[in-house]
Amino acid sequence: MSHVTSFSALRMGAALLAGTALLSSPAFAQNGMNTTSLQHEVVLEGLDNPWDMAFLADGTMLFTEKCSGLSVRLPDGTVNALYGVGETEGYASNGSDLFCEGQAGMMGVAFDPDFDSNRRIYVYSTSNMSDPHTNRLMRFTLSEDFTGVADRTDIVDDVPYKMAASNHPFGGPGAHNGGRVRFDANGHLFLTTGDTHNGQVPQSPTMMGSKVLRIDTDGNANAENSPPDGFDARTYTYGHRNVQGIAFHPETGAAITAEHGPWHSDEITILQNGGNAGWDPRPNMAGRGDCPDDYCGYSPNQEDGMNRYERAAFMSMTDFDTYPDAMPPIWNNNGWSQGTSSAAFLEGDAWGDWDGAMVVGIMGIGFGGTPIGQRIDVIQFNDDNTDVEDVTEMTLPMESGRFRSVVMGPDGSLYTSIDEGTIYKLTPGG
Amino acid sequence: MLRNCVLTMLMIICGFAARADNHATDAAAEDSDTSTVEHVVDLEAAEKIFRKSCRACHGNKAQGAASYPKLSDKTPEYIAEKLKIYRSGKKIGPNSILMISHAKKLSDEDIANISVYVATAFD
Repeated sequence: MSHVTSFSALRMGAALLAGTALLSSPAFAQNGMNTTSLQHEVVLEGLDNPWDMAFLADGTMLFTEKCSGLSVRLPDGTVNALYGVGETEGYASNGSDLFCEGQAGMMGVAFDPDFDSNRRIYVYSTSNMSDPHTNRLMRFTLSEDFTGVADRTDIVDDVPYKMAASNHPFGGPGAHNGGRVRFDANGHLFLTTGDTHNGQVPQSPTMMGSKVLRIDTDGNANAENSPPDGFDARTYTYGHRNVQGIAFHPETGAAITAEHGPWHSDEITILQNGGNAGWDPRPNMAGRGDCPDDYCGYSPNQEDGMNRYERAAFMSMTDFDTYPDAMPPIWNNNGWSQGTSSAAFLEGDAWGDWDGAMVVGIMGIGFGGTPIGQRIDVIQFNDDNTDVEDVTEMTLPMESGRFRSVVMGPDGSLYTSIDEGTIYKLTPGG
Repeated sequence: MLRNCVLTMLMIICGFAARADNHATDAAAEDSDTSTVEHVVDLEAAEKIFRKSCRACHGNKAQGAASYPKLSDKTPEYIAEKLKIYRSGKKIGPNSILMISHAKKLSDEDIANISVYVATAFD
Protein backbone atom coordinates (compact mmCIF):
# COMPACT_ATOMS: atom_id res chain seq x y z
CA MET A 1 0.00 0.00 0.00
CA SER A 2 1.26 3.48 -0.74
CA HIS A 3 0.19 6.57 1.11
CA VAL A 4 0.55 10.27 0.64
CA THR A 5 -0.51 12.98 2.99
CA SER A 6 -0.59 16.07 0.84
CA PHE A 7 -2.82 17.24 -2.01
CA SER A 8 0.15 18.94 -3.64
CA ALA A 9 1.98 15.63 -3.63
CA LEU A 10 -1.01 14.00 -5.27
CA ARG A 11 -0.91 16.52 -8.06
CA MET A 12 2.78 15.94 -8.55
CA GLY A 13 2.23 12.21 -8.73
CA ALA A 14 -0.59 12.61 -11.19
CA ALA A 15 1.50 14.82 -13.41
CA LEU A 16 4.37 12.38 -13.39
CA LEU A 17 2.01 9.52 -14.15
CA ALA A 18 0.51 11.48 -17.01
CA GLY A 19 3.98 11.97 -18.41
CA THR A 20 4.70 8.29 -18.11
CA ALA A 21 1.49 7.46 -19.92
CA LEU A 22 2.30 9.79 -22.77
CA LEU A 23 5.73 8.32 -23.23
CA SER A 24 4.46 4.77 -23.25
CA SER A 25 1.56 5.06 -25.66
CA PRO A 26 2.69 6.04 -29.12
CA ALA A 27 0.93 4.42 -32.06
CA PHE A 28 2.28 0.92 -32.35
CA ALA A 29 1.48 -2.33 -34.02
CA GLN A 30 0.04 -5.13 -31.97
CA ASN A 31 0.22 -8.82 -32.59
CA GLY A 32 -2.66 -10.32 -30.64
CA MET A 33 -3.79 -13.89 -30.73
CA ASN A 34 -7.21 -12.95 -31.94
CA THR A 35 -6.69 -10.13 -34.33
CA THR A 36 -5.11 -8.77 -37.39
CA SER A 37 -2.18 -6.65 -36.29
CA LEU A 38 -3.53 -3.18 -35.64
CA GLN A 39 -2.07 0.28 -35.41
CA HIS A 40 -3.87 3.21 -33.96
CA GLU A 41 -3.70 6.93 -34.53
CA VAL A 42 -5.45 9.77 -32.78
CA VAL A 43 -7.32 11.69 -35.45
CA LEU A 44 -8.90 14.27 -33.15
CA GLU A 45 -9.02 14.60 -29.39
CA GLY A 46 -10.43 16.97 -26.82
CA LEU A 47 -13.82 16.84 -28.51
CA ASP A 48 -17.17 17.25 -26.79
CA ASN A 49 -18.83 13.84 -26.92
CA PRO A 50 -18.14 13.00 -30.58
CA TRP A 51 -21.18 11.05 -31.75
CA ASP A 52 -20.76 10.16 -35.42
CA MET A 53 -18.59 10.53 -38.48
CA ALA A 54 -19.03 10.34 -42.26
CA PHE A 55 -16.40 10.27 -45.01
CA LEU A 56 -15.80 11.27 -48.59
CA ALA A 57 -13.46 9.28 -50.79
CA ASP A 58 -10.60 11.75 -50.26
CA GLY A 59 -10.77 11.38 -46.48
CA THR A 60 -12.83 14.48 -45.74
CA MET A 61 -14.64 13.69 -42.50
CA LEU A 62 -17.81 15.18 -41.12
CA PHE A 63 -18.22 14.72 -37.39
CA THR A 64 -20.77 15.69 -34.80
CA GLU A 65 -20.29 16.65 -31.17
CA LYS A 66 -23.42 16.12 -29.14
CA CYS A 67 -23.65 19.47 -27.39
CA SER A 68 -21.49 21.54 -29.74
CA GLY A 69 -22.33 20.91 -33.36
CA LEU A 70 -21.26 19.76 -36.80
CA SER A 71 -17.72 20.14 -38.12
CA VAL A 72 -15.65 18.92 -41.02
CA ARG A 73 -12.04 17.75 -40.98
CA LEU A 74 -10.33 18.19 -44.33
CA PRO A 75 -7.64 15.82 -45.62
CA ASP A 76 -4.92 18.30 -44.63
CA GLY A 77 -6.15 18.21 -41.03
CA THR A 78 -7.92 21.55 -41.07
CA VAL A 79 -11.14 21.53 -39.05
CA ASN A 80 -14.00 23.87 -39.93
CA ALA A 81 -16.86 24.29 -37.47
CA LEU A 82 -19.98 24.37 -39.60
CA TYR A 83 -23.24 24.39 -37.66
CA GLY A 84 -23.53 24.90 -33.93
CA VAL A 85 -26.00 23.54 -31.43
CA GLY A 86 -27.96 26.47 -29.98
CA GLU A 87 -25.69 29.40 -29.30
CA THR A 88 -22.44 27.45 -29.24
CA GLU A 89 -19.69 29.84 -30.26
CA GLY A 90 -17.17 29.33 -33.01
CA TYR A 91 -19.42 27.87 -35.69
CA ALA A 92 -20.05 29.42 -39.10
CA SER A 93 -23.75 29.34 -38.35
CA ASN A 94 -26.03 27.98 -35.67
CA GLY A 95 -29.32 26.26 -35.23
CA SER A 96 -30.87 28.30 -32.44
CA ASP A 97 -33.51 25.62 -31.96
CA LEU A 98 -31.00 22.82 -31.44
CA PHE A 99 -30.10 21.79 -27.91
CA CYS A 100 -28.67 18.93 -25.92
CA GLU A 101 -30.08 17.30 -22.83
CA GLY A 102 -29.06 13.98 -21.32
CA GLN A 103 -28.62 11.50 -24.16
CA ALA A 104 -30.08 13.92 -26.71
CA GLY A 105 -28.31 16.45 -28.90
CA MET A 106 -26.58 16.35 -32.26
CA MET A 107 -26.14 12.73 -33.30
CA GLY A 108 -25.91 10.98 -36.67
CA VAL A 109 -24.45 12.42 -39.86
CA ALA A 110 -24.17 11.27 -43.47
CA PHE A 111 -23.00 12.47 -46.87
CA ASP A 112 -25.43 12.18 -49.75
CA PRO A 113 -24.34 9.39 -52.15
CA ASP A 114 -24.43 12.06 -54.88
CA PHE A 115 -22.60 14.62 -52.80
CA ASP A 116 -20.15 15.41 -55.59
CA SER A 117 -23.00 16.81 -57.64
CA ASN A 118 -25.48 18.08 -55.02
CA ARG A 119 -23.28 18.97 -51.99
CA ARG A 120 -25.95 17.60 -49.64
CA ILE A 121 -25.38 16.29 -46.13
CA TYR A 122 -27.76 15.01 -43.43
CA VAL A 123 -27.64 15.56 -39.67
CA TYR A 124 -29.94 14.31 -36.90
CA SER A 125 -30.43 16.50 -33.85
CA THR A 126 -32.76 17.38 -31.04
CA SER A 127 -34.74 20.58 -31.62
CA ASN A 128 -37.09 22.79 -29.59
CA MET A 129 -38.76 24.23 -32.66
CA SER A 130 -41.85 22.16 -31.87
CA ASP A 131 -43.53 21.75 -28.53
CA PRO A 132 -43.25 19.05 -27.34
CA HIS A 133 -39.75 19.05 -28.70
CA THR A 134 -38.66 16.53 -31.32
CA ASN A 135 -35.65 14.99 -32.96
CA ARG A 136 -35.16 16.13 -36.53
CA LEU A 137 -33.28 14.93 -39.58
CA MET A 138 -31.91 17.99 -41.32
CA ARG A 139 -30.58 18.30 -44.85
CA PHE A 140 -27.99 20.93 -45.67
CA THR A 141 -25.94 22.07 -48.61
CA LEU A 142 -22.23 22.17 -47.80
CA SER A 143 -20.33 25.04 -49.37
CA GLU A 144 -17.76 24.37 -52.06
CA ASP A 145 -14.95 25.44 -49.75
CA PHE A 146 -16.25 23.33 -46.82
CA THR A 147 -16.57 26.33 -44.53
CA GLY A 148 -20.31 26.53 -44.04
CA VAL A 149 -23.71 24.97 -44.59
CA ALA A 150 -26.92 26.46 -46.01
CA ASP A 151 -30.41 25.53 -47.15
CA ARG A 152 -31.43 23.73 -43.98
CA THR A 153 -34.46 21.57 -44.70
CA ASP A 154 -35.92 19.41 -41.95
CA ILE A 155 -36.87 16.31 -43.90
CA VAL A 156 -38.03 14.48 -40.74
CA ASP A 157 -39.36 16.65 -37.92
CA ASP A 158 -41.49 14.35 -35.81
CA VAL A 159 -39.29 11.83 -34.02
CA PRO A 160 -40.39 11.90 -30.36
CA TYR A 161 -38.24 13.43 -27.65
CA LYS A 162 -38.55 12.68 -23.93
CA MET A 163 -39.56 15.98 -22.37
CA ALA A 164 -39.67 15.17 -18.67
CA ALA A 165 -37.79 13.02 -16.21
CA SER A 166 -39.27 9.69 -15.18
CA ASN A 167 -38.67 7.15 -12.48
CA HIS A 168 -36.24 4.95 -14.37
CA PRO A 169 -32.54 4.35 -14.68
CA PHE A 170 -31.10 7.05 -16.97
CA GLY A 171 -34.52 8.62 -16.35
CA GLY A 172 -33.72 12.22 -17.23
CA PRO A 173 -35.19 14.11 -20.17
CA GLY A 174 -33.75 13.29 -23.56
CA ALA A 175 -33.47 9.51 -23.20
CA HIS A 176 -33.48 7.03 -26.10
CA ASN A 177 -33.37 8.96 -29.35
CA GLY A 178 -31.73 6.33 -31.57
CA GLY A 179 -29.76 8.57 -33.85
CA ARG A 180 -27.85 6.82 -36.62
CA VAL A 181 -28.19 8.10 -40.21
CA ARG A 182 -26.97 5.88 -43.03
CA PHE A 183 -27.44 5.28 -46.76
CA ASP A 184 -27.52 1.77 -48.15
CA ALA A 185 -25.90 0.81 -51.44
CA ASN A 186 -29.12 1.60 -53.29
CA GLY A 187 -29.18 5.19 -52.05
CA HIS A 188 -32.01 4.67 -49.56
CA LEU A 189 -31.74 6.80 -46.46
CA PHE A 190 -32.19 5.05 -43.10
CA LEU A 191 -32.78 6.76 -39.75
CA THR A 192 -32.88 4.87 -36.45
CA THR A 193 -34.95 6.09 -33.51
CA GLY A 194 -35.64 5.18 -29.87
CA ASP A 195 -38.50 4.63 -27.45
CA THR A 196 -38.03 7.78 -25.28
CA HIS A 197 -38.90 5.71 -22.17
CA ASN A 198 -42.49 5.72 -23.39
CA GLY A 199 -44.24 2.34 -23.25
CA GLN A 200 -46.61 3.26 -26.06
CA VAL A 201 -44.01 4.27 -28.63
CA PRO A 202 -42.43 0.98 -29.81
CA GLN A 203 -45.59 -0.66 -31.15
CA SER A 204 -47.30 2.60 -32.12
CA PRO A 205 -48.15 2.76 -35.83
CA THR A 206 -47.79 6.52 -35.95
CA MET A 207 -45.26 7.69 -33.36
CA MET A 208 -41.92 7.54 -35.09
CA GLY A 209 -39.82 6.50 -32.12
CA SER A 210 -38.55 2.91 -31.89
CA LYS A 211 -38.51 2.67 -35.67
CA VAL A 212 -36.08 2.31 -38.50
CA LEU A 213 -37.23 4.74 -41.15
CA ARG A 214 -36.43 4.17 -44.81
CA ILE A 215 -36.96 7.35 -46.78
CA ASP A 216 -35.71 9.37 -49.71
CA THR A 217 -33.65 12.52 -49.38
CA ASP A 218 -36.77 14.67 -49.18
CA GLY A 219 -38.04 12.63 -46.24
CA ASN A 220 -40.69 10.75 -48.21
CA ALA A 221 -41.38 7.10 -47.51
CA ASN A 222 -39.70 4.53 -49.70
CA ALA A 223 -42.46 3.12 -51.89
CA GLU A 224 -41.38 -0.43 -51.13
CA ASN A 225 -41.69 -0.13 -47.36
CA SER A 226 -44.24 -2.68 -46.16
CA PRO A 227 -45.18 -2.03 -42.55
CA PRO A 228 -48.55 -3.33 -41.27
CA ASP A 229 -51.71 -1.53 -42.27
CA GLY A 230 -52.16 1.74 -40.49
CA PHE A 231 -48.47 2.36 -39.95
CA ASP A 232 -46.69 5.47 -41.07
CA ALA A 233 -45.37 4.61 -44.51
CA ARG A 234 -41.85 5.72 -43.59
CA THR A 235 -41.60 2.69 -41.30
CA TYR A 236 -39.16 0.04 -42.44
CA THR A 237 -39.15 -1.80 -39.10
CA TYR A 238 -40.70 -1.06 -35.70
CA GLY A 239 -40.78 -2.37 -32.14
CA HIS A 240 -37.18 -1.40 -31.39
CA ARG A 241 -35.81 -0.11 -28.10
CA ASN A 242 -33.05 2.34 -28.97
CA VAL A 243 -31.19 1.65 -32.19
CA GLN A 244 -27.83 3.38 -32.44
CA GLY A 245 -26.23 0.97 -34.88
CA ILE A 246 -27.16 0.14 -38.46
CA ALA A 247 -25.01 -1.21 -41.26
CA PHE A 248 -25.61 -3.00 -44.53
CA HIS A 249 -24.22 -6.41 -45.33
CA PRO A 250 -21.72 -6.05 -48.17
CA GLU A 251 -22.97 -9.19 -49.94
CA THR A 252 -26.68 -9.38 -49.21
CA GLY A 253 -27.36 -5.67 -48.77
CA ALA A 254 -29.47 -6.46 -45.72
CA ALA A 255 -29.91 -3.71 -43.15
CA ILE A 256 -28.62 -4.99 -39.81
CA THR A 257 -29.11 -3.20 -36.52
CA ALA A 258 -27.10 -3.22 -33.31
CA GLU A 259 -29.16 -2.19 -30.34
CA HIS A 260 -28.92 -1.48 -26.64
CA GLY A 261 -30.69 -3.90 -24.40
CA PRO A 262 -32.32 -2.82 -21.14
CA TRP A 263 -30.60 -4.46 -18.15
CA HIS A 264 -30.09 -7.47 -20.43
CA SER A 265 -29.81 -8.63 -24.04
CA ASP A 266 -28.08 -6.27 -26.42
CA GLU A 267 -29.08 -7.44 -29.87
CA ILE A 268 -27.99 -7.62 -33.48
CA THR A 269 -30.89 -8.17 -35.86
CA ILE A 270 -31.10 -8.67 -39.61
CA LEU A 271 -34.02 -6.47 -40.53
CA GLN A 272 -36.99 -7.62 -42.54
CA ASN A 273 -39.02 -5.04 -44.42
CA GLY A 274 -42.09 -4.31 -42.27
CA GLY A 275 -40.75 -6.39 -39.41
CA ASN A 276 -41.41 -6.05 -35.70
CA ALA A 277 -38.38 -6.18 -33.40
CA GLY A 278 -40.67 -7.26 -30.57
CA TRP A 279 -39.94 -4.63 -27.92
CA ASP A 280 -43.11 -3.70 -26.07
CA PRO A 281 -42.54 -2.25 -22.59
CA ARG A 282 -46.18 -1.40 -21.85
CA PRO A 283 -47.50 -2.28 -18.40
CA ASN A 284 -50.36 -4.69 -17.82
CA MET A 285 -49.59 -7.02 -20.66
CA ALA A 286 -47.42 -10.06 -21.30
CA GLY A 287 -48.02 -11.12 -17.72
CA ARG A 288 -46.81 -7.84 -16.23
CA GLY A 289 -48.65 -5.50 -13.89
CA ASP A 290 -48.04 -1.83 -13.33
CA CYS A 291 -44.57 -0.42 -13.87
CA PRO A 292 -42.93 2.87 -12.87
CA ASP A 293 -44.33 5.72 -14.94
CA ASP A 294 -46.06 3.24 -17.27
CA TYR A 295 -42.79 1.92 -18.72
CA CYS A 296 -41.59 -1.58 -17.90
CA GLY A 297 -38.36 -1.27 -19.82
CA TYR A 298 -36.12 -1.81 -16.79
CA SER A 299 -38.47 -3.99 -14.77
CA PRO A 300 -38.45 -5.97 -12.64
CA ASN A 301 -36.26 -4.70 -9.83
CA GLN A 302 -35.06 -1.77 -11.90
CA GLU A 303 -32.93 -0.32 -9.13
CA ASP A 304 -30.78 -3.32 -8.39
CA GLY A 305 -28.97 -6.19 -10.02
CA MET A 306 -30.57 -9.54 -10.71
CA ASN A 307 -30.15 -12.52 -12.99
CA ARG A 308 -30.28 -11.30 -16.57
CA TYR A 309 -32.25 -14.29 -17.79
CA GLU A 310 -34.92 -13.70 -15.17
CA ARG A 311 -35.12 -10.13 -16.36
CA ALA A 312 -35.40 -11.28 -19.97
CA ALA A 313 -38.22 -13.64 -19.07
CA PHE A 314 -40.15 -10.81 -17.47
CA MET A 315 -39.48 -8.08 -20.05
CA SER A 316 -38.15 -9.55 -23.25
CA MET A 317 -36.07 -7.52 -25.63
CA THR A 318 -37.77 -9.54 -28.37
CA ASP A 319 -41.13 -10.80 -27.10
CA PHE A 320 -41.87 -13.91 -29.15
CA ASP A 321 -44.76 -14.90 -26.87
CA THR A 322 -46.68 -11.78 -27.80
CA TYR A 323 -45.24 -11.39 -31.29
CA PRO A 324 -44.39 -14.85 -32.68
CA ASP A 325 -43.35 -13.37 -36.01
CA ALA A 326 -40.93 -10.88 -34.50
CA MET A 327 -37.55 -10.59 -36.19
CA PRO A 328 -35.18 -12.93 -34.35
CA PRO A 329 -31.92 -11.44 -33.09
CA ILE A 330 -28.83 -13.25 -34.33
CA TRP A 331 -26.74 -12.13 -31.31
CA ASN A 332 -27.74 -11.19 -27.79
CA ASN A 333 -24.38 -10.46 -26.15
CA ASN A 334 -24.67 -13.57 -24.01
CA GLY A 335 -27.68 -12.03 -22.36
CA TRP A 336 -25.78 -8.96 -21.16
CA SER A 337 -26.56 -5.32 -21.72
CA GLN A 338 -23.31 -3.41 -22.04
CA GLY A 339 -24.22 -0.41 -24.17
CA THR A 340 -23.98 -1.73 -27.71
CA SER A 341 -23.91 1.27 -30.00
CA SER A 342 -22.89 1.55 -33.63
CA ALA A 343 -22.07 -0.97 -36.33
CA ALA A 344 -20.06 -1.14 -39.54
CA PHE A 345 -18.61 -3.72 -41.92
CA LEU A 346 -14.88 -4.05 -42.34
CA GLU A 347 -13.71 -3.80 -45.93
CA GLY A 348 -10.43 -4.61 -47.59
CA ASP A 349 -7.91 -7.39 -47.94
CA ALA A 350 -5.79 -5.84 -45.22
CA TRP A 351 -8.34 -7.03 -42.67
CA GLY A 352 -7.56 -10.64 -43.57
CA ASP A 353 -10.18 -13.06 -42.29
CA TRP A 354 -12.14 -10.11 -40.97
CA ASP A 355 -12.70 -8.62 -44.41
CA GLY A 356 -16.49 -8.41 -44.67
CA ALA A 357 -17.08 -8.97 -40.95
CA MET A 358 -19.29 -6.69 -38.90
CA VAL A 359 -17.90 -4.67 -36.02
CA VAL A 360 -19.95 -3.23 -33.19
CA GLY A 361 -18.85 -0.63 -30.69
CA ILE A 362 -19.79 -1.30 -27.08
CA MET A 363 -19.72 1.58 -24.60
CA GLY A 364 -19.79 -0.35 -21.32
CA ILE A 365 -22.11 0.07 -18.36
CA GLY A 366 -21.27 -2.24 -15.47
CA PHE A 367 -24.52 -2.21 -13.48
CA GLY A 368 -25.64 -4.87 -11.04
CA GLY A 369 -22.80 -7.27 -11.59
CA THR A 370 -22.66 -6.95 -15.37
CA PRO A 371 -19.09 -6.86 -16.69
CA ILE A 372 -18.40 -3.35 -18.00
CA GLY A 373 -17.44 -4.66 -21.41
CA GLN A 374 -16.06 -1.63 -23.25
CA ARG A 375 -14.82 -3.06 -26.51
CA ILE A 376 -15.23 -3.52 -30.25
CA ASP A 377 -16.57 -6.92 -31.21
CA VAL A 378 -15.96 -8.52 -34.59
CA ILE A 379 -19.04 -10.43 -35.75
CA GLN A 380 -18.45 -13.02 -38.47
CA PHE A 381 -21.45 -14.39 -40.31
CA ASN A 382 -22.11 -17.91 -41.59
CA ASP A 383 -21.83 -18.84 -45.24
CA ASP A 384 -25.46 -17.92 -45.85
CA ASN A 385 -25.00 -14.58 -44.11
CA THR A 386 -28.07 -15.36 -42.06
CA ASP A 387 -26.57 -15.92 -38.64
CA VAL A 388 -23.57 -15.24 -36.46
CA GLU A 389 -20.83 -17.83 -36.76
CA ASP A 390 -18.15 -16.33 -34.56
CA VAL A 391 -17.61 -13.34 -32.29
CA THR A 392 -14.15 -12.03 -31.45
CA GLU A 393 -13.24 -9.17 -29.21
CA MET A 394 -10.87 -6.92 -31.11
CA THR A 395 -7.56 -6.61 -29.31
CA LEU A 396 -7.13 -2.88 -29.25
CA PRO A 397 -3.80 -1.10 -29.56
CA MET A 398 -5.03 1.69 -27.28
CA GLU A 399 -7.02 2.09 -24.08
CA SER A 400 -10.69 1.26 -24.43
CA GLY A 401 -13.44 3.84 -24.05
CA ARG A 402 -17.11 4.40 -24.65
CA PHE A 403 -17.19 3.36 -28.30
CA ARG A 404 -20.08 5.45 -29.61
CA SER A 405 -19.35 5.18 -33.30
CA VAL A 406 -17.53 2.86 -35.67
CA VAL A 407 -17.21 3.91 -39.31
CA MET A 408 -15.16 2.52 -42.19
CA GLY A 409 -12.95 5.13 -43.77
CA PRO A 410 -12.14 5.35 -47.47
CA ASP A 411 -8.54 4.44 -46.67
CA GLY A 412 -9.47 0.99 -45.40
CA SER A 413 -9.08 1.97 -41.77
CA LEU A 414 -11.77 1.72 -39.12
CA TYR A 415 -12.53 5.00 -37.39
CA THR A 416 -14.08 4.99 -33.96
CA SER A 417 -15.16 7.76 -31.65
CA ILE A 418 -15.41 7.49 -27.90
CA ASP A 419 -17.60 9.68 -25.71
CA GLU A 420 -14.52 10.73 -23.77
CA GLY A 421 -13.63 12.97 -26.70
CA THR A 422 -11.34 11.16 -29.11
CA ILE A 423 -11.66 9.89 -32.66
CA TYR A 424 -9.21 7.08 -33.41
CA LYS A 425 -8.10 5.47 -36.64
CA LEU A 426 -7.47 1.73 -36.47
CA THR A 427 -5.40 0.40 -39.32
CA PRO A 428 -4.69 -3.26 -40.05
CA GLY A 429 -1.11 -4.30 -40.64
CA GLY A 430 2.07 -3.36 -38.93
CA MET B 1 2.31 -4.89 -12.59
CA LEU B 2 4.78 -2.39 -14.01
CA ARG B 3 2.25 0.37 -13.74
CA ASN B 4 1.59 -0.51 -10.12
CA CYS B 5 5.28 -0.44 -9.39
CA VAL B 6 5.63 2.93 -11.02
CA LEU B 7 2.65 4.15 -9.07
CA THR B 8 4.09 2.86 -5.83
CA MET B 9 7.45 4.42 -6.48
CA LEU B 10 5.92 7.72 -7.40
CA MET B 11 3.79 7.77 -4.34
CA ILE B 12 6.76 7.03 -2.12
CA ILE B 13 8.73 9.79 -3.80
CA CYS B 14 5.82 12.16 -3.55
CA GLY B 15 5.28 11.22 0.05
CA PHE B 16 8.88 12.08 0.91
CA ALA B 17 8.60 15.26 -1.12
CA ALA B 18 5.50 16.24 0.74
CA ARG B 19 7.13 15.59 4.09
CA ALA B 20 10.21 17.56 3.03
CA ASP B 21 7.99 20.44 1.99
CA ASN B 22 6.21 20.34 5.27
CA HIS B 23 9.45 20.38 7.23
CA ALA B 24 10.59 23.41 5.29
CA THR B 25 7.52 25.45 6.09
CA ASP B 26 7.06 27.55 9.17
CA ALA B 27 5.04 26.35 12.09
CA ALA B 28 1.92 28.30 11.21
CA ALA B 29 1.76 26.93 7.70
CA GLU B 30 2.46 23.46 8.99
CA ASP B 31 -0.48 23.75 11.36
CA SER B 32 -2.64 24.94 8.50
CA ASP B 33 -1.64 22.02 6.28
CA THR B 34 -2.31 19.56 9.01
CA SER B 35 -5.79 20.91 9.55
CA THR B 36 -6.77 20.41 5.89
CA VAL B 37 -5.52 16.83 5.59
CA GLU B 38 -7.52 14.71 7.91
CA HIS B 39 -6.64 11.21 6.79
CA VAL B 40 -4.13 9.17 4.91
CA VAL B 41 -5.13 8.70 1.28
CA ASP B 42 -4.66 5.30 -0.30
CA LEU B 43 -4.28 6.08 -3.98
CA GLU B 44 -3.85 2.50 -5.08
CA ALA B 45 -7.13 1.53 -3.51
CA ALA B 46 -8.76 4.60 -4.99
CA GLU B 47 -7.52 3.82 -8.46
CA LYS B 48 -8.94 0.32 -8.24
CA ILE B 49 -12.33 1.70 -7.33
CA PHE B 50 -12.10 4.29 -10.07
CA ARG B 51 -11.28 1.74 -12.76
CA LYS B 52 -13.95 -0.66 -11.59
CA SER B 53 -16.81 1.70 -10.81
CA CYS B 54 -16.24 5.19 -12.23
CA ARG B 55 -14.18 5.10 -15.39
CA ALA B 56 -16.66 3.40 -17.71
CA CYS B 57 -19.18 6.23 -17.40
CA HIS B 58 -17.24 9.30 -16.29
CA GLY B 59 -14.30 8.66 -18.59
CA ASN B 60 -10.73 7.51 -18.15
CA LYS B 61 -9.69 10.91 -16.82
CA ALA B 62 -12.97 11.70 -15.08
CA GLN B 63 -13.51 14.22 -17.87
CA GLY B 64 -17.18 13.35 -18.21
CA ALA B 65 -18.81 11.50 -21.09
CA ALA B 66 -22.27 11.19 -22.58
CA SER B 67 -24.76 12.12 -19.85
CA TYR B 68 -22.25 11.44 -17.07
CA PRO B 69 -20.75 14.62 -15.62
CA LYS B 70 -17.14 15.72 -15.43
CA LEU B 71 -15.64 15.01 -12.02
CA SER B 72 -12.04 16.07 -12.38
CA ASP B 73 -12.97 19.72 -11.83
CA LYS B 74 -14.81 19.05 -8.58
CA THR B 75 -13.39 19.29 -5.09
CA PRO B 76 -12.85 16.20 -2.95
CA GLU B 77 -15.39 17.59 -0.52
CA TYR B 78 -18.04 17.91 -3.22
CA ILE B 79 -17.47 14.37 -4.48
CA ALA B 80 -17.48 12.91 -0.99
CA GLU B 81 -20.71 14.70 -0.13
CA LYS B 82 -22.46 13.38 -3.24
CA LEU B 83 -21.20 9.84 -2.72
CA LYS B 84 -22.51 9.81 0.82
CA ILE B 85 -25.90 11.00 -0.40
CA TYR B 86 -25.97 8.26 -3.03
CA ARG B 87 -24.82 5.71 -0.47
CA SER B 88 -27.83 6.62 1.67
CA GLY B 89 -30.05 5.68 -1.25
CA LYS B 90 -31.28 9.20 -1.95
CA LYS B 91 -31.82 10.09 -5.61
CA ILE B 92 -30.31 13.40 -6.70
CA GLY B 93 -30.21 13.14 -10.48
CA PRO B 94 -31.23 11.11 -13.54
CA ASN B 95 -28.44 8.58 -13.14
CA SER B 96 -29.01 8.08 -9.40
CA ILE B 97 -29.84 4.41 -9.74
CA LEU B 98 -26.43 3.73 -11.23
CA MET B 99 -24.67 5.84 -8.62
CA ILE B 100 -26.55 4.31 -5.70
CA SER B 101 -25.65 0.80 -6.85
CA HIS B 102 -21.96 1.70 -6.81
CA ALA B 103 -21.91 4.00 -3.76
CA LYS B 104 -23.67 1.63 -1.42
CA LYS B 105 -20.62 -0.63 -1.53
CA LEU B 106 -18.25 2.11 -0.39
CA SER B 107 -16.92 2.57 3.12
CA ASP B 108 -16.10 5.97 4.59
CA GLU B 109 -12.46 5.26 3.82
CA ASP B 110 -13.28 4.31 0.23
CA ILE B 111 -15.17 7.56 -0.24
CA ALA B 112 -12.35 9.58 1.22
CA ASN B 113 -9.84 7.88 -1.06
CA ILE B 114 -11.80 8.03 -4.28
CA SER B 115 -12.87 11.63 -3.71
CA VAL B 116 -9.28 12.81 -3.46
CA TYR B 117 -8.15 10.60 -6.32
CA VAL B 118 -10.81 11.76 -8.79
CA ALA B 119 -10.34 15.41 -7.92
CA THR B 120 -6.57 15.41 -8.17
CA ALA B 121 -5.20 12.55 -10.26
CA PHE B 122 -6.05 14.09 -13.63
CA ASP B 123 -4.95 17.68 -13.07
